[in-house]
Amino acid sequence: MTSIRYRLLVWLLIGAVVAIAGAAIGTYLRARDEANALFDYQLKQMAASLTDAPFAAVAPNSPALGSGADALVVQIWDRNGVQLFLSQPRRTLPQHAQLGFTTVATEHGEWRVFSTLAEGQVVQVAQPMSARRELAASMALRTIVPLLAALPFLALFAWLTIARGLSPLDRVADAVASRSPTVLEPLSETGLPSEVRPLVHALNGLLEQLDQALVAQRSFIADAAHELRTPLTAVHLQAQLAERASTDAERSAALYELKGGLERATRLSEQLLALAREEPGVSNRAPVDIDIGATARTVIADLAPLAAAKGIDLGLNETPGVHMHGDADALATLVSNLVDNAVRYTNPGGRVDVLVRSDAGASLLEVRDNGPGISMEDRERVFDRFYRGAAAHAAGAARGSGLGLAIVRRIAERHGATVTLGPGVDGKGLGVTVRFPA
Amino acid sequence: MRILLAEDDPMIGASVRRGLTQDGFTVDWVEDGRAAEAALSDRIHDALVLDLGLPRKSGLDVLGAMRRRGDARPVLILTARDAVADRVAGLDAGADDYVVKPFDLGELSARLRALLRRGAGRAEPVVIYGSLAFNASTREVRVNGEPVQLSARELALLEALLARPGAILSRAQLEDKLYGWSDPVESNAVEVHIHALRRKLGADLIRNIRGVGWMLARRDSAAA
Repeated sequence: MTSIRYRLLVWLLIGAVVAIAGAAIGTYLRARDEANALFDYQLKQMAASLTDAPFAAVAPNSPALGSGADALVVQIWDRNGVQLFLSQPRRTLPQHAQLGFTTVATEHGEWRVFSTLAEGQVVQVAQPMSARRELAASMALRTIVPLLAALPFLALFAWLTIARGLSPLDRVADAVASRSPTVLEPLSETGLPSEVRPLVHALNGLLEQLDQALVAQRSFIADAAHELRTPLTAVHLQAQLAERASTDAERSAALYELKGGLERATRLSEQLLALAREEPGVSNRAPVDIDIGATARTVIADLAPLAAAKGIDLGLNETPGVHMHGDADALATLVSNLVDNAVRYTNPGGRVDVLVRSDAGASLLEVRDNGPGISMEDRERVFDRFYRGAAAHAAGAARGSGLGLAIVRRIAERHGATVTLGPGVDGKGLGVTVRFPA
Repeated sequence: MRILLAEDDPMIGASVRRGLTQDGFTVDWVEDGRAAEAALSDRIHDALVLDLGLPRKSGLDVLGAMRRRGDARPVLILTARDAVADRVAGLDAGADDYVVKPFDLGELSARLRALLRRGAGRAEPVVIYGSLAFNASTREVRVNGEPVQLSARELALLEALLARPGAILSRAQLEDKLYGWSDPVESNAVEVHIHALRRKLGADLIRNIRGVGWMLARRDSAAA
C-alpha cells in the first residue's frame, strides 16, 4: 500500500473505530456502575418493605417482584433456618447467612444478594447480575450506534479532504512531467504548502545542475566537432594530393603527409576521450597509493624517442618515495600531457626537466622547459579546452590538440591538486607545478 | 597567377599550397592575419585565399581593412559547413566567393580561376588573342586550333601577359608572377621562358621593349 491517500484514510478510520470502541467501553463501564448503585438501592428498598409487612402479603409472582429472568427472588427463613417463603421455587439461592450485599455464583450465573435480619427472620432479596450487564450494554450500544452510522460520512469527508490536501503534489508531478532535457526551467515555488516546498526547491536545484551539465556537454560536443574538422580537412586534402600524384616519389611523399594527418586526428580523438574520462562522476576506479617518481620514469621512457628526435634533453630529478593517493591511469595521463607539451613546444636542442619532490608534506611534480613559455595574459586561458596560446601557433607543425592542459587541470581537480604556471629552466620557458596535498 | 594563401593550420596550408601549385598557380603562404596584411601591401598577388580563423588578426578583419583601402583583388574564403553566419559575414565584408571545409582542391582551383577571369572582365574560360587560344581551366594552349605543349613556367608567363594585353610588364613584375617567396629565382629565367614561348607560339606574339619589359604584340599583328 503505497498511496498516501489510501494509507491516511485507513489509519484515520482505524483511529475512529478505536475511539468509538473506547467510548462504548467507557459508556458500558459507567452505565454498569450506575446500574449497580440503582439496583442495589432497589434490593435494599425491597428488603425493607418486606420486613415491614407480613411476608404473607408478598404474594408469589407479584408485580413488585417483576417476572422472567430479571425478576427478583425473595427468600425468607425463620430463626431456625426453616424456609418460610420462596418467591420463585425454580430458583435456588444459597442459604446465605452473611448479611448485607454479596455477590454469589450459582448454576444460573452470578447473583446479587441482599440479606437483612428483621424480627427473627432472615429476609434475602436477590437479582441476577446479568440484568445489570444487559442494561449497561444496551446503554453503551445506544451511544455508539449513531457514531458508527456517521463513520461512512467521516470516511467520505476524509477521502475528499486528503485528495484536496494532496493536490499540490499532483500539480508538482504535472510540472515535473512537462520538463524535458530541452526544457529545464525551474518549477514554481509559490502557492505550495510548506511540506511540498522543500521537495520542489530541491528539485529546482537538481534541474539547474542538470541544465548546466547539459549546456557544458553540448558546448563540449560542438567544440569537439569543430576541432575534429580541422585535422579531417587536412586529411581530406592530403588524400586528394596522394590521388593526384603522378610519380611514385610524389605519391609516397603525399602518403607520408597523409599518415601525419591521420596521426594528428587520432591524437585529437584520444585526447577527447581522455578528457571525457575525466568528466566528474565518470571514473569509479578505487584510489590507490602511487609512486609519482615511478610514473614519471614510465612516461619519460615513453616520450624519450620524441624528445631525442627533436634533440631535446629530457631528464628526471627525483626525490625517492614521493607518493600520492589517486587514480594511477589518470596520473600517468597528467604527467604524459605535461611532458608531451613541453617537448612539443620547446625548440630543437632545448631542455625539459621533470622534478618529483615533497614540500611541507605535499607531493610536487614539476615539468620545466626552456621553450617559448606562455605569456601572462595567456596563462589562465591555456587551461580552457581548445585554446592554443601564441606559442602553440608559432610552434607550427608541432601543433597539439589544444586539450593537454585542460586534461591536466581536470585530473588535478579530481585529486584535489593545484596546477600553477611559472618560469621554467633557469628562469626561461615554462614550468608547470602540480601540488598534491598531503 | 600568384595567389596569397592565409591559413593557420600547417597541414591544411601545406596541402593547399601544393595543390594550387600543381594547378599552375604560384602560391605564397602566410599563417596569421598580420603577415597576410603585410603581404597584401606588396600588391604582387592576384588573389587571396583566406581562412577566417586566423590568429593575431582575424580573416574578417584582414578582408574588411583590405576593402576599405580600396583593394579590389578577388578574395575567396575558406569556411566551415555549419558556419553560415561566418560565410555571410565574409561575403558581406567583401569576399567574392567561398569554399566549405573539407573542400576539393580541384574545386578551389576552378573557383579561383573563375574569380580571376571575372576580375579581368571575362566570362569565358578561354582567352582568344588573335590566333592564340588559352584555356585557363584546362591550361591548354592552341595556336590556329593546334595544341601546343608549354611548361608550367611558360604558361604562368603567358597568363600574366594575357591578363594585361597592351601593358608592358617589367622583368620584376614577371618574376613576381613566376616565383613564390620560397622559390629560388633563376637568373635570366624570364628571358629563357620568353624565348621558349616565342619559339612555340610564333616570334611576333611577344614584343620586347628594351630596358622596360615585355608586352603582347597587337592582336592583328599576332594574328598574322
